Amino acid sequence: MSALAKGWDIQLRVLKALMLRELTTRFGRENIGFLWIMVEPLLFAVLVALLWRAMKGPVENGVDMVTFVVSGYIPLVLFRSSVNRAISSFTANSSLMYHRQITIIDLILVRFGIEFIGHMMAYLFIALVLGSFGLFPWPHDLGFIILGWIYYSFFTFSITLIVAPLSEMSDVLEKIVPVTTYMMIPFSGAFYLVSVLYPTAAEVVLYSPPVHAMEMMRYGIFGPSIDPQYDLVYPIAFCLPCIALGLLLCRIVRRRLVIE
Amino acid sequence: MIACEDLWKSYPAGHTRKFVLQGINLTINRGERVALLGRNGAGKSTLIKQIGGVEVPDRGKVTRKMSVSWPIGFNGGFQGSLTGLDNARFISRIYGSSYSEMRDFVEDFTELGSSLSMPVKTYSSGMRARLAFALSLGIEFDCYLIDEVILVGDHNFQRKCHHELFEKRADRAMVIVSHDMETVRNVCNRASVIHEGKAIPFEDVHEATKYYEEL
Repeated sequence: MSALAKGWDIQLRVLKALMLRELTTRFGRENIGFLWIMVEPLLFAVLVALLWRAMKGPVENGVDMVTFVVSGYIPLVLFRSSVNRAISSFTANSSLMYHRQITIIDLILVRFGIEFIGHMMAYLFIALVLGSFGLFPWPHDLGFIILGWIYYSFFTFSITLIVAPLSEMSDVLEKIVPVTTYMMIPFSGAFYLVSVLYPTAAEVVLYSPPVHAMEMMRYGIFGPSIDPQYDLVYPIAFCLPCIALGLLLCRIVRRRLVIE
Repeated sequence: MIACEDLWKSYPAGHTRKFVLQGINLTINRGERVALLGRNGAGKSTLIKQIGGVEVPDRGKVTRKMSVSWPIGFNGGFQGSLTGLDNARFISRIYGSSYSEMRDFVEDFTELGSSLSMPVKTYSSGMRARLAFALSLGIEFDCYLIDEVILVGDHNFQRKCHHELFEKRADRAMVIVSHDMETVRNVCNRASVIHEGKAIPFEDVHEATKYYEEL
């Protein structure tokens, strides 16, 4: 086996083992076990959607209210819980550094991966349930939903890659992150369509990469009637430097990490 | 072979830094059993962590040309919230070895019985040492790093350790941290005394223990 194939083999083995370990420690083997990972986003999305439905009626921006809120809220919860899980993830897992094949990037990847799978499952589950009641439309273009998810997750991952090492460098971050993720709500694109905003507001929110991703998803679900506003290049141009910075910070933090 | 070249390591201490390792040079060849001696806080565990790649040195580098175990001690290498068997499963997964063989070995070697289904954080230090040894001996390495756990446990366990390490794996390299000069003299064929951040090498273990006892 070539060195590259061998390295890849070890990498996959490590990620799988870490994933299973994280699932066991977080959810245990009792009752529904790892299925708990989709319960939290599911409850969040359903309850918020019902709240909006009760307050504002059945239709928003010409599309079904529940579908609109659910499809916007789950990616937002993914962002929020991924960032929160990234905080102090190195200190919490420092005993894993005893095994050289495990890197701190693996720790970030695994924590993000679990959030991603959980939220993806919740999304799929809700769409199927709502769909069977005729509340979730048959997607206009499934490809765009997937593309939007890829963009949204790419952005989320690049932010966790910065937050995780920064939280080890300063305790202040731990205090301000919950507020910051809350303030992200208007910049996540979850509760509006860019096309119905005032032009100046639209211009501002389009500086935020997840808004582009959300517009892609919404286009994939509802079709051209919502007049989606997105750019395929800008979010990537935003995220790549974030990833480079994140990797650099990880390298610095790894050198400083004191392990018992 | 493992080569440490000019290793420096410091830790934050208030507003300054404490320099624990100040230019360590050390080579471990295949099959050699090297003792690390030194007073408490001299930096033996710090050095073994750099050799095992657990921490990254400030300066200098460690070259590993054989497979090296993680430092075997009371903590590290396993997860307190998981059970003994879950830890065994995790280790066999990341090192790509068979879990059923690992489990049989751990059950047989540790003699912990049903405690293996309890979280490791409930274990006594003797039980931890048994598990730590079993997990690392369950994977074959060219070099084992052993940090002070060699003398824990009852007589029976010590005999088992001795058999597994020094008889069955007599051809392997080992780096051993111990305060027990008797063991060091019996099992090691080279020694380094860690003192004031430097490693003083000795080809003769008796000389090393004498030097250490006079520190």
